[in-house]
Amino acid sequence: MDQVLLAPRPAHVPPERVVDWDMYSPPGVEDDFHRAWARLLADDVPDVVWTPRNGGHWIAARGALIHEIYGDYKRFSNRIIVVPKEVGEMHHLLPTTLDPPEHRPFRTLLNENLAPKAIRGLEEKIREQAVDLIESFRSQGHCDFIAQYSAEFPIRIFMSIVDLPMTDAPRLKYLTDQITRPDGSMTLAEAKRQYFDYLGPIVDARMGSDRTDMLSRLVNGVVDGRPLTRTEALEITTQIIIAGLDTVVNFLGFVMQFLATDSNHRRQLVANPDLIPAAVEELIRRYPLVTIAREVKEDMEFAGVALKAGEMILIPSPLHGIDPRANKDPFKFDLNRTDSAHTTFGNGPHRCPGANLARTEIRVTMEEWLARIPDFEIEPGFKVRYHGGIVGCVDKLPLIWKP
Amino acid sequence: MARIKFIAPSGQQHEINARGGMSIMEAAVQNDVEGIEAECGGGCSCGTCHVYVDPAWVDRLPPRADVEADMLEAVTDSRPESRLTCQVLVNESLDGLVLYLPEQQG
Repeated sequence: MDQVLLAPRPAHVPPERVVDWDMYSPPGVEDDFHRAWARLLADDVPDVVWTPRNGGHWIAARGALIHEIYGDYKRFSNRIIVVPKEVGEMHHLLPTTLDPPEHRPFRTLLNENLAPKAIRGLEEKIREQAVDLIESFRSQGHCDFIAQYSAEFPIRIFMSIVDLPMTDAPRLKYLTDQITRPDGSMTLAEAKRQYFDYLGPIVDARMGSDRTDMLSRLVNGVVDGRPLTRTEALEITTQIIIAGLDTVVNFLGFVMQFLATDSNHRRQLVANPDLIPAAVEELIRRYPLVTIAREVKEDMEFAGVALKAGEMILIPSPLHGIDPRANKDPFKFDLNRTDSAHTTFGNGPHRCPGANLARTEIRVTMEEWLARIPDFEIEPGFKVRYHGGIVGCVDKLPLIWKP
Repeated sequence: MARIKFIAPSGQQHEINARGGMSIMEAAVQNDVEGIEAECGGGCSCGTCHVYVDPAWVDRLPPRADVEADMLEAVTDSRPESRLTCQVLVNESLDGLVLYLPEQQG
């Protein structure tokens, strides 16, 4: 995102707290997303810093603080979670931008659709999709994993859960990307308007219907004893589609990049598929990728700085799993880690309700891929590039193997 | 890792090996512990991962935060030893923990 204008440093921000940090494009992100973010974890960087980019905002630069802020909606509001703040004002999706107690009934609506019980019933379908996709290119001996698998697999599953045609997925994916990693072609407000234009007729048709897909169950939900308004229905369905179309998709890129380059661990997992669930947990710690913010609710002292009401503070989840204060030797993939601290799925009332669906999709992908293509590598000479944003990503991942 | 034992009202026991850093709820779901429903996936907003902590262990767990205490007021048959397993992180000091499942979640 082009953000040529730098915000002036407010008087209460000490000069030694200032860093030049654009969360949409941290220095060095193209080479290694996580090592780029890790620069904020260096001992000579204070626990909380301030950047003039993206409207000027604070950044919590320690895993434990990030975890604490996520969980503390009383001091750090969810009203705005995107920087720059004026862009975040436009965001307003449900239940993401509500604090408890208003948040609770909307969250309850999501819960019943994403509970472990609901997901367990989906696993067979998830596995079929994984097998289908892998078999579609296995005999060719190569693929671009991002385009041919991860951009397809979670989206196919999600589109079937909400019962929308797969042919609409590319359009929705494009709009989603303009919200999470804007390329400047469209504002957040415009992306949201186009989302509402697309979903409007669908929401209208499903409100009052007896269809059983997740979208219909959401729009026909009850909050505080009343039905959802049309706007609320649009805001909750837009949010759930964004979350379904741009998280596991990106995470799988990091997973496969890891498996392609760390042949020792890959062979260990091929030989012992029972270790895959533990590997999923370790990957979730090692490759967090969501960066959002909170709005400071009132003037306060926090971790040695004076925060003012209305200021934004960034809480980059990538920093927790890779903080050496939280995890020993954090860049090491270690299946035997005894304590593993992370905020990859957030913390507190807004903790990712889709975490269990995500874990299932990641585990099934690893199980089916490693059983079918146990030995593979990144195309020799290809340099993997990464992209920053609300959700970080691997741009392209060409893999090769002996068919 | 920590070994954690769940005991159902029927007396049936289910012991799991839980990985450090996960919540007890997540470890229970991963190991298919029946009776931990966890509808909200760990957001402390459904009260369906409720357990009773064995008396010997109550004081060895970190205390409830406000959000957990609020939620526990709303669950069926809440007791002083009630906890939501999504709010307790696993670490090695929990090795041997014993938890009793309620008759009914939520």
